[in-house]
Amino acid sequence: MTEITDSIEVPEPDATQDDKDTERKPRRGGKRGKKGPLGRLALFYRQIIAELRKVVWPNRNDLTTYTTVVIVFVVVVIGFVAVVDWGFGKLISAVFG
Amino acid sequence: MLTAFARAFRTPDLRKKLLFTLGIVVVYRLGAHVPVPGIDYTVVNACIKETKGNNSLFGLVNMFSGGALLQLTIFALGIMPYITASIILQLLTVVIPRLEALKKEGQAGTTKITQYTRYLTVALAVLQGTGLVATARSGSLFSGCNNAGSIVPNQSIFTTITMVTTMTAGTVVIMWLGELVTDRGIGNGMSILMFVSIAAGFPGSLWAIKVSGTIADGWVEFLAVLAVGLAMVGLVVFVEQAQRRIPVQYAKRMIGRRSYGGTSTYIPLKVNQAGVIPVIFASSLLYIPALIVQFSGSTAGWAQWISRNFTKGDHPVYMAAYFLLIVFFAFFYVAISFNPEEVADNMKKYGGFIPGIRAGRPTAEYLSYVLNRITWPGALYLGLIALVPTVAIAIFNGSNGNFPLGGTSILIIVGVGLETVKQIESQLQQRNYEGFLR
Repeated sequence: MTEITDSIEVPEPDATQDDKDTERKPRRGGKRGKKGPLGRLALFYRQIIAELRKVVWPNRNDLTTYTTVVIVFVVVVIGFVAVVDWGFGKLISAVFG
Repeated sequence: MLTAFARAFRTPDLRKKLLFTLGIVVVYRLGAHVPVPGIDYTVVNACIKETKGNNSLFGLVNMFSGGALLQLTIFALGIMPYITASIILQLLTVVIPRLEALKKEGQAGTTKITQYTRYLTVALAVLQGTGLVATARSGSLFSGCNNAGSIVPNQSIFTTITMVTTMTAGTVVIMWLGELVTDRGIGNGMSILMFVSIAAGFPGSLWAIKVSGTIADGWVEFLAVLAVGLAMVGLVVFVEQAQRRIPVQYAKRMIGRRSYGGTSTYIPLKVNQAGVIPVIFASSLLYIPALIVQFSGSTAGWAQWISRNFTKGDHPVYMAAYFLLIVFFAFFYVAISFNPEEVADNMKKYGGFIPGIRAGRPTAEYLSYVLNRITWPGALYLGLIALVPTVAIAIFNGSNGNFPLGGTSILIIVGVGLETVKQIESQLQQRNYEGFLR
């Protein structure tokens, strides 16, 4: 059972944030695409930021555990491969060298 | 926490899987050391020593093959042909209706596509092997080495065919090893082998930094690079763990006297939903133009332009192309691996809904709305991480652009490491052990 961590937002950008910014303007045709390409880009950018705010980022504790675990794992594998490589290097140069 | 590793080894079937994977890794490394028939082993070794560090064209591919390419071993081609083949097939699935139909067929169709991927791998391996053997024969594999011409002492056609066949067979064996790991070992076989290849080059390249450094015998550079590397590992883990959770409610249902459902859960959408695949795809695609020029030996205008701009990893054109390809593949891979309509359909079937959104089409639209917006930062992050170290090196050092500690390899290593550790963890938890990540 997990709690719902964020608010729900209906993807109707024109109806939500957009209204606040352009309140003083008379209501346009109601459809999107009435603003220039730049305006749409800015809207898209704002929507990206809005979504990013709802992202659950790992907390400090999680981050340190995951990072250490990954580093330990990687170091172990690198060490193992290095030893194996060293052995095979010696073996091959003894056979072919 | 280290005891968890020990516990993993004490669990019987997990131990079996881990040892199996390690065994495959040993076989893989053995193959990466055994020289192909028909070459002069001592000359190759001398040439590798002589031209160390300035073989920029093959740098990245050589890294992906774990140093086997330049040593001309039986696993010289590595898993590159397989990766290229699977990219091509995934791209074709979008274009060719027949393949798309196969993909929709489910299990049977996927097996068929895997089969095609294998055939294409063999074809690509023959192509790449021929190219590699040709460059080795003519001596242009090690430009700047004195006796590069005598790498292949016997230049008869029979020897050449033997070499190409051996290398192709090596690639097929690698493909098989990878599938074995996926089946009976830990993690995804292809990524594990890729990981091992990159890991094999790590100690050497780190040491090379220390040797080439000037401040305090190079220790300062060595530690600085190590610190930056660790910081990047942290950053990659941070973004890799970030999720946008879309809440899903399941309706409560009474079937007979028992009630089912009624739970709330979420769909995790990772910020970097595509993982490391865009990076792998982009770097293996970017290698192709340089490969074509190298093997065609053409000196026409286009060939010169390519070899000027695309062979060195720190050239602006190369970096821009790399960045764009990564962004493109991030979106492409998310598009083929996560299908909003399918997820919405499934949710509807099991009585689930996103609070505030109607089931069916509006849900699918909402999912793709979120996905499109969350993938942008993910894609840009991938591109930047892959490029930043290269840029830094190009500015501060001006040396070899295919620096093995670059963003590409860190992304792959951390991505695969995280995925594998999580898989071990979930296997441990199945047996009620407390895993690593507590």
